[in-house]
Amino acid sequence: MRWVDFKDSVKRFWSEYKHQKSGMLGLIFLIILLVLGIGAPYITSPDIPKQWQTGEAWIVNPKNAPPSWENAFSDQKLADQKVYTIHDMNVAESKNGSYKVYTLTFTYNMNYDVPPKDIVITGLNSNASRPQDNPLVSVYVERPEEQGVTVEKFLLLPDTQLPSKGVLQLSYLKEVKTLLFYWLYQNGIIQLPMAPPEALPMEIKLMQINQQIQLDSKLYGYFQSMDPMKVLFGSLTENGQLRTLEQVISEPVALQGDYKFTIVVKAPENVKVDLSNFEVAMVGRTFGLLGTDQYGRPIAVGLLWGIRVAIAIGLAVSISSVVIGILIGVTSAYLGGWADEVIQRITEFFMTLPVLPMLILLSLYFGGRITLKQLVLILVLFGWMGTTKVARSMALQIKEQTYIEAARALGASTGRIVFRHIVPQLLPYAFASIALSVPGAILSEAGLSFLGLTSNNMITWGQMLNAAQQNGATLNGYWWQVIPPGLAIAFVGLIFVLIGVSLDTVLNPKLKRA
Amino acid sequence: MGMSFGRYVAYRLVNAVIILFLAVLLMSALFTKLATIQLTSQVDEEVQMWVRGYTQQHHQQPTQEMIEKYREARIKYYRLDQPYWKRMWMYTIDTFFFRWGNSFVKVFGTTDIVSQIKTALARTVLLFTTSQIFIILIGLSLGLKSARHPGSLLDRTISILAMIASSLPMWWVGMLMILLFVVYLGWLPITLYSQVEVSGWINILKKMSLPVLTIVLVSFGGWAWTTRNIMIGTMQEDFIMVARAKGVPERKIIYGHALKAAAPPIITMVIFGLIGSLGGAIITEIVFNWPGMGRLYYEALQLNAVRTMMALNYMFAVLTVLSMVLADILYGYLDPRIRIGAAARS
Repeated sequence: MRWVDFKDSVKRFWSEYKHQKSGMLGLIFLIILLVLGIGAPYITSPDIPKQWQTGEAWIVNPKNAPPSWENAFSDQKLADQKVYTIHDMNVAESKNGSYKVYTLTFTYNMNYDVPPKDIVITGLNSNASRPQDNPLVSVYVERPEEQGVTVEKFLLLPDTQLPSKGVLQLSYLKEVKTLLFYWLYQNGIIQLPMAPPEALPMEIKLMQINQQIQLDSKLYGYFQSMDPMKVLFGSLTENGQLRTLEQVISEPVALQGDYKFTIVVKAPENVKVDLSNFEVAMVGRTFGLLGTDQYGRPIAVGLLWGIRVAIAIGLAVSISSVVIGILIGVTSAYLGGWADEVIQRITEFFMTLPVLPMLILLSLYFGGRITLKQLVLILVLFGWMGTTKVARSMALQIKEQTYIEAARALGASTGRIVFRHIVPQLLPYAFASIALSVPGAILSEAGLSFLGLTSNNMITWGQMLNAAQQNGATLNGYWWQVIPPGLAIAFVGLIFVLIGVSLDTVLNPKLKRA
Repeated sequence: MGMSFGRYVAYRLVNAVIILFLAVLLMSALFTKLATIQLTSQVDEEVQMWVRGYTQQHHQQPTQEMIEKYREARIKYYRLDQPYWKRMWMYTIDTFFFRWGNSFVKVFGTTDIVSQIKTALARTVLLFTTSQIFIILIGLSLGLKSARHPGSLLDRTISILAMIASSLPMWWVGMLMILLFVVYLGWLPITLYSQVEVSGWINILKKMSLPVLTIVLVSFGGWAWTTRNIMIGTMQEDFIMVARAKGVPERKIIYGHALKAAAPPIITMVIFGLIGSLGGAIITEIVFNWPGMGRLYYEALQLNAVRTMMALNYMFAVLTVLSMVLADILYGYLDPRIRIGAAARS
């Protein structure tokens, strides 16, 4: 085929394909998908695949949180995830004796009916080698004004060591709970048998309050059952009257408004403190576009990265198996005789093997968790037979045509006849069946991943569904963990079916008449 | 030069048995490696247990010699002293003749693999054959209907439905069904699908409802579409044209002439579907906690019960081969032209 002819036939093909509505739709979707897949590192961050399994990156995220837009459909607005980086804060440096002191302030606008789940402090890096050199963090909060409440600004977290790469989850800290109780006491919501003297150092004061709480079984019960965030962000009064402790803890009502946070970081002068990664996360009860899974991983990010594996597996498997299938089929038809017989028996043998059990068996053989390359190999091994059957029957017809005989009479070699005369005629069929076999490959991958047989080193939709199943997502009603990955699989499948059917219509003249 | 029907059947059956045997041979080759790993650790474990038992009984440790002797006996018992190919061959023969033995761990409450599979197969038959019957009924009638009016709204709807369904994972649709009917609508109790075993006929029927609905929903479109295509292909044949020209009523053409001619592929499809359904959809059963072949496979996978998996693989292969042979035989019976082809090849 000359270059001009090739260009001409491509042009002709395109002008016909253009009129296939579903084919064009499929093509547009495919381009969007490719752009998203290629753009994944730029849209999110390039080290997502590395972080996906380790979990460190997701520590500030809520677990099993629904998407934030769910708020629009409910009468109770749940707090959304909000992360403050060092750039969102006001930073002041000062000195106190042999200590360097950093004062970071920011304002959180709490306008939800249900406050955040937690406040998480991370990313304070230092070169402290001994535990006693670790920077100390304390947090003050100033709540919106509320009539009848006397103490609006108070200490939430006393000087607490934060080792390099450490994490402070305020909801889980006993000191935070104790200080909240102290604050409730200061406002007259609870009575303590003995007033802790103001002048005492913080540690001793905390110890005293703790002792008094533990001695009073009722108080201790409240202490155990309280959700610190619901108290911190809750109203202390109702119609100008102080609420009871029972009400504050068991029937919290959110107090909306601006909360001013002051974080004080103290470190010995000889210790270098790096605040560039410093983050304070108001852990939401909802998260982003598509919520999170049980490890706090954002579903939307997984979905985006999953495109790459889906397309890579789909294309690699379908192209390889169709090419191999056609070559085997054509060879079989061309050789004829006993060679044909042997090849056909082998093909039938492979068709007889039950596919999913064989895939499971092979993945176990490869060591339980198979890599991307092994997966492609296995799927190709069980995917070429259909094409072979069709290619053989098509090649048998072509073989009988006069121009092949003519070529043979002119002394053309077998290879030349196969590759110049037979295979090009099968190309249209090949293109269509490549497109049509992509969904099958993606479904197989999803199935194997769902069974937990594929390597953890990739992000796939099947693995996301596996995680959802492990998490009991369906029975718990975590729809955002189940619906999006499955829809993505179905969507990619549909795209290739649309393209494949249109290719078939354009390239297969026999179908056009029907 | 056709061969007699009897010879044709015999030829197909022999062919099938050979293929099945080769399949088992291949699977055994893969499985023997897995079994070796497992058996080696089993021997270690048994030796340790024996040493512990001996020490308790005799108040002294057995000598190194005795331990070695015991170990060798166990190795011999599990045939680990035999070469790989020999063990593979023995495993193939055992599997092929249904001598499956016991698994090391209990699956479905027993270690006897034959009874594990009997229990599972019965439950899979119940679920999937029921669904398949629904699919056949709905699919065939819709397919015939849309073949009568190609291009109609029904016809286009079915084509689109078939296209969409072919790219949906059935098990994912199952997850959606649970979300919708169990969690959000609450029409069925959650315990039905959070537990594997459910007692009482009413509960079993209730538990069946969602998986049956799922399987039918995902599969009937494809069936209808294939039936339609077969029928439309038949409708373009010359004898239909002749019948039309003669003025035979359209209804009679479809249900009399065309359906008769289209029967072989459709009946083949039915057989394939019915027997194929016995294998069950492995993952769909897992999603619905349905204690059939798929669920058994999953539990065997989790517990590393390789012998159970091997037996299941064999069963899946038997079912596939069986459906192929049955379809072939039926096809040969209904359409004698096929037999000539087979004769020409043999």
